[in-house]
Amino acid sequence: MLVHSYYGKNWTMTEPAAKLSISLPASLAKAVRKRVGARGLSGFFAQAVAHELEREKLGAFIAELNQLNGPPSKTALAAARRAWPKR
Amino acid sequence: MAEALVLDSEAVNALARASQRGVLEDRARAILSLAHDRRALVRVPTPVLGEVCRGPRFDAAINRLLNDSGVLVMDLTQPIAQRAGLLLAEARMSSANAVDAFVVATALEFDSALIATGDPRDIRRLAARHRSLAVFAI
Repeated sequence: MLVHSYYGKNWTMTEPAAKLSISLPASLAKAVRKRVGARGLSGFFAQAVAHELEREKLGAFIAELNQLNGPPSKTALAAARRAWPKR
Repeated sequence: MAEALVLDSEAVNALARASQRGVLEDRARAILSLAHDRRALVRVPTPVLGEVCRGPRFDAAINRLLNDSGVLVMDLTQPIAQRAGLLLAEARMSSANAVDAFVVATALEFDSALIATGDPRDIRRLAARHRSLAVFAI
């Protein structure tokens, strides 16, 4: 049973869990355990995978729009950068 | 830290119906590209669908955007709806601006968010007290 939430995407009791066996570099495994604890690993990985897949789709969609219309104008990109505060 | 680009109805229409929207589409695509570069999530608050969907004969472009582009619909939960009510009260606005308030309340679910909107004046008024939010006029 999975109960994870990810900003608009929910995996609930209705969806069965699948078990995966993955290998990570030891230092990365240590860092993620330290970050989320042993019990938080599944949720953390579910979110990370969801985000990565979502980002790939977004990249493909943007590429498709750019192919149809050309890249966004420099003016629009500059306006977008000005509007979004630097981190 | 979760960062998001939140789209209102004008931004959704600009991206879904790109070939018909000219300058709007250019600005919407620019902000979407920036969101991708920043690894931000891109979300459409559920109430926005009430403004952009007009039935199966007209919704193909919207469905495509929402089902296959990495742009996800974010459900309207009780806490988000109640926060929207508070935002309206704080801004002394009526429920005629409810969808705008749902958009801003959804953006507040994230550590920081940029709202892409065709109605920057009302959105800015609702978001005024919240430093985690920025607004981009489509």
